[in-house]
Amino acid sequence: MPAADPADAVFSALADGTRRDLFALLGQHGEASATELARELPVSRQAVQKHLGLLAGAGLVAARRAGREVLYHPTPGPMSEALEWMAEVGRQWDDRLAALDRQLARGRTSA
Amino acid sequence: MEAPTMNKAVERELLVPEAPDEVWHSLTEPAWLGEDASIELEPAGEVRAGERSGFVEEADEPRRLVFWWSAPDEETSRVELDLDKVEGGTRVRVTESRPLELLTLRARDLAVELDVAGGTGPVAYAGGAAPVMG
Repeated sequence: MPAADPADAVFSALADGTRRDLFALLGQHGEASATELARELPVSRQAVQKHLGLLAGAGLVAARRAGREVLYHPTPGPMSEALEWMAEVGRQWDDRLAALDRQLARGRTSA
Repeated sequence: MEAPTMNKAVERELLVPEAPDEVWHSLTEPAWLGEDASIELEPAGEVRAGERSGFVEEADEPRRLVFWWSAPDEETSRVELDLDKVEGGTRVRVTESRPLELLTLRARDLAVELDVAGGTGPVAYAGGAAPVMG
């Protein structure tokens, strides 16, 4: 048995609610900077940065430089399939709820 | 209410000025669900939208609708629609999840957890209930 089981790192990285939210959010975005992610979470950019570091340490996310920004993305693996599903289903509900809103809006003008 | 670890759930919200009754009524004109959609707003009622089909689990007019559906070759997912009366209208909250898959994931997690624990005692991770003996 290896000294450090990668599953330990994955579980402890995902043991924190904020990191789970962050990870899911990153899945929805595909790729984002710490600043962008912090705007959508009730934590500071510094905290987001720290959490991203832990997720990166567990091999769940990776970073690349784009100009003066560092962009994070989820890395391929068993979780990426889940994230793709979440992103796709999220898009579908955005469309359906927009359609529901339009449907209700027709009543607003004609009633 | 604690979210289970690795629960694959998607949440979306829509705020509309109509009252829940009116929104509920609009759900019965299911064009919003997709092409050729139909939905029977009663328990065990049929749900169809495009290639998806399923059934209604719960229909609590005008507050809550729960249904299960799947497309061919896809896992079944569970959709919860909650209509909450809020100031100035209704908040429509939708949650789609795959609870069946969660079970298999959880089983796999526990297997890993027990393996990792070895002789050193249980390893806890948030949200995952450790197996309780007796």
